[in-house]
Amino acid sequence: MSIEKGKISSLQLLFLIAGFVQGSGLLIDFTVGITEHQTWMVVLAGLAVTTPFFLSYVVLAKRFPGMNLVQINDMVYGRVLGKVISIYYIFFFLMTLSFNIRDVGELYITFLMPDTPFIFLLAVFTATCAYAVAKGIEVLARVSHLFVFTSIFAIISTFILLIDQMDFSNFLPFFEVPFMRIFQGIHIVSVIPFGETIIFLVIMGYLNNTGHAVKNTFIGLLIGGLSLFIISVTDTAVLGRTQTIWTSPSFQSIRLIDIGTVLTRMDFLIGIAQTVLIFFKCSLFFYTLAVSVSQLFGLKSYLPVILPLAGIEVIVAATVFQSPVDHAMITQNTGIIYSVPLIYIFPPLSLMIAKIRDLPKVERSKGT
Amino acid sequence: MIFLLLIYALIIIIIVPGLIKRNEWRELAVFSILYIIAFVLGLMYVLDIPIPSPMHGLQRLIVDVLGIKYPMQ
Repeated sequence: MSIEKGKISSLQLLFLIAGFVQGSGLLIDFTVGITEHQTWMVVLAGLAVTTPFFLSYVVLAKRFPGMNLVQINDMVYGRVLGKVISIYYIFFFLMTLSFNIRDVGELYITFLMPDTPFIFLLAVFTATCAYAVAKGIEVLARVSHLFVFTSIFAIISTFILLIDQMDFSNFLPFFEVPFMRIFQGIHIVSVIPFGETIIFLVIMGYLNNTGHAVKNTFIGLLIGGLSLFIISVTDTAVLGRTQTIWTSPSFQSIRLIDIGTVLTRMDFLIGIAQTVLIFFKCSLFFYTLAVSVSQLFGLKSYLPVILPLAGIEVIVAATVFQSPVDHAMITQNTGIIYSVPLIYIFPPLSLMIAKIRDLPKVERSKGT
Repeated sequence: MIFLLLIYALIIIIIVPGLIKRNEWRELAVFSILYIIAFVLGLMYVLDIPIPSPMHGLQRLIVDVLGIKYPMQ
């Protein structure tokens, strides 16, 4: 029995994935301090590294149609080990969602509304996400193209408005950053946001037709990846080496928009566009968390767990890090290391085990 | 504090009657567990009682105990 009644098309899935990845536009800042002017290379390399793993998620979802990640884990690893792995995934969803909610709070406290209480911003944002999640995946999927087009508009218009301040010599010299830092940068980008697309293993179970799933999900990932690439190019071209000293280089570069002293202070508008995109990403994460928790406990619906989870998320987001520096330091090390098995090991392993045990067929024949 | 109590009272009023009416006892049990965790965390936050961060614990495990980390730049 499915706990979600709604269905989504593979075209909607394309926009969901693209919007989800674009929602991490501000999060490439974690990499900038490490990879400096070579961040654009790291974004492309991160996309290339994650693509085979991402395709393994899609193939896994196609192999287990109508099933979400928790159900797949139960079937592949057995009830006990499957539940343990699912709890590990739920912890990842819980923590990553709290980081993203905190990101919004930090963005507003630092740049837009410095006098507003931090907890109030977190509570309002989480409540809005909870409302979207309560409406179901179909509603989010129906509006997903609007989020993607908003993001593309914001990214391209920022790029065009900043062209006069760009200095492309900022990209030189190539390959100056030591290999270890490039490797860490690729690791960060391949987890945030590309690896986070693991949440779609929960959502892809509600596809009404898995026919074009591989092609459409890949295009979605590509749109998101290219958007991040344009953001990283804009930041480096505009800010140069100074981009490493800012808390949020992408936001700082937007602040520099000045067209004839008429078109200035665009940061508020772009800030709103960014908030909308992070809202979309957080809603998808929240939905995944609520569905996974409900599936773990064998509930009929995920609706009763939304508000208590929102309450937990607000407090975890408020207390998980002591400062933005603490946030960046932990994310650049522990945050990306503990999620490695979830993103790179379990999905391909599940696929391999499913192939060896011929799992869905065996289960189907048992059922008949 | 009053705001917290009001919000959590409101959550009970919104969710619980429907669950009881539909005899969804398993849903009610899971809701209650998560609700208590959320309320206790909220109360600790309001009363300024330090809440341990799971990420700091994880960092101690991964970086200090297992020694897995990227070299400092």
